Amino acid sequence: MAEDLVLDTTIRDWVLIPLSVVMVLIGILRYFVSKLIRTFQNPDGKIVKEGQVVIRARNLRSSADFIPPKSFRARRTYYSNEENGILHVPKGQAPNPQAQMFSDPNMAMDMMKKNLSMIIPQTLTFAFVNFFFSGFVAAKIPFPLTQRFRSMLQNGIDLSTVDVSYVSSRSWYFLNLFGLRGLFSLILGEENAMDDTQRMMQMGGFGFDPSKSLGAEKDSLDIVQHDWVLPKFEQRAEAVLRKLAK
Amino acid sequence: MAADGNSGVFSQKLKGDFDAQYINAKNALNNSKVIYYSRTFMLIVGGIIAGILGFTGLTGFIFYFLVFAVTTVGLTAKAKFSIHSYFDGWNSVLFDGFLGGLMSFVLFWTFAYDSVHIF
Repeated sequence: MAEDLVLDTTIRDWVLIPLSVVMVLIGILRYFVSKLIRTFQNPDGKIVKEGQVVIRARNLRSSADFIPPKSFRARRTYYSNEENGILHVPKGQAPNPQAQMFSDPNMAMDMMKKNLSMIIPQTLTFAFVNFFFSGFVAAKIPFPLTQRFRSMLQNGIDLSTVDVSYVSSRSWYFLNLFGLRGLFSLILGEENAMDDTQRMMQMGGFGFDPSKSLGAEKDSLDIVQHDWVLPKFEQRAEAVLRKLAK
Repeated sequence: MAADGNSGVFSQKLKGDFDAQYINAKNALNNSKVIYYSRTFMLIVGGIIAGILGFTGLTGFIFYFLVFAVTTVGLTAKAKFSIHSYFDGWNSVLFDGFLGGLMSFVLFWTFAYDSVHIF
């Protein structure tokens, strides 16, 4: 490239490396802080019961072929009977998640804590980066990009003549924010797997509705094609033994 | 990698007149997690290698595909080439974590490349 910029090595030592290290350390710190302020919630007995029912129904569905047809039908009736099957949810009794949230302040409090643990460190980190590292050309992406990426990669530098693949320090912060997710999941384990972007997406649809999963399980139990496999097991055993004997 | 003898997805493999398969959900989840972790690790290391070797432009992305393919082959070999008894098909082995891995790869590639070459 003709117009290669010469960057001072002190920029590397005092901007690029410290910025990356700070991002990693803040990620780790945030993980431990959110672990500390997380409260253990005693689960509601009714919800736990419904969850267990769903799991039992799922077990029945997945190993249905191992029991005789009559037993399967009896069990299915027990689960999905229209009158008193335990998967059947009477209409109008399903709890409204919004009303539930207002009646239980702990739930709202928990949500707020989660959001705060996400927003506060991000704001602080952004302010920190802005304060200490603003205005540097900190890095260069090793592949060419088009002009459209300028606003994304050179946030904070208002020069239109610099090649687009040079990255400002503020944009390096954003790149770190997204790219370090993989590293965090490696060093912090799976609990960190639910990262910020996923959490943001989930914020719209909070309030888990157990009656829905009951209904879904009931439907899938209703359409199971039962096919008892045990009569064929003798043939299978014979085939296996013949193969061994060979 | 937890691909030892008893982490097979199917509790039993039925062949013959019927090919019903019974999936052990816990093991399947664990296996896909193993894919994700080994892939992320390989791509981070690959990114650092690409940066130190000074790859730019297309070469780097070809290297990305190379690392990705090597990881896939390694995982397949670890599963003793019987993908269907450990994972739910080729899709999860071939494509899981493609874009997320790309972000990590580009970040570490850029970081190593900048630290070594441009200053």
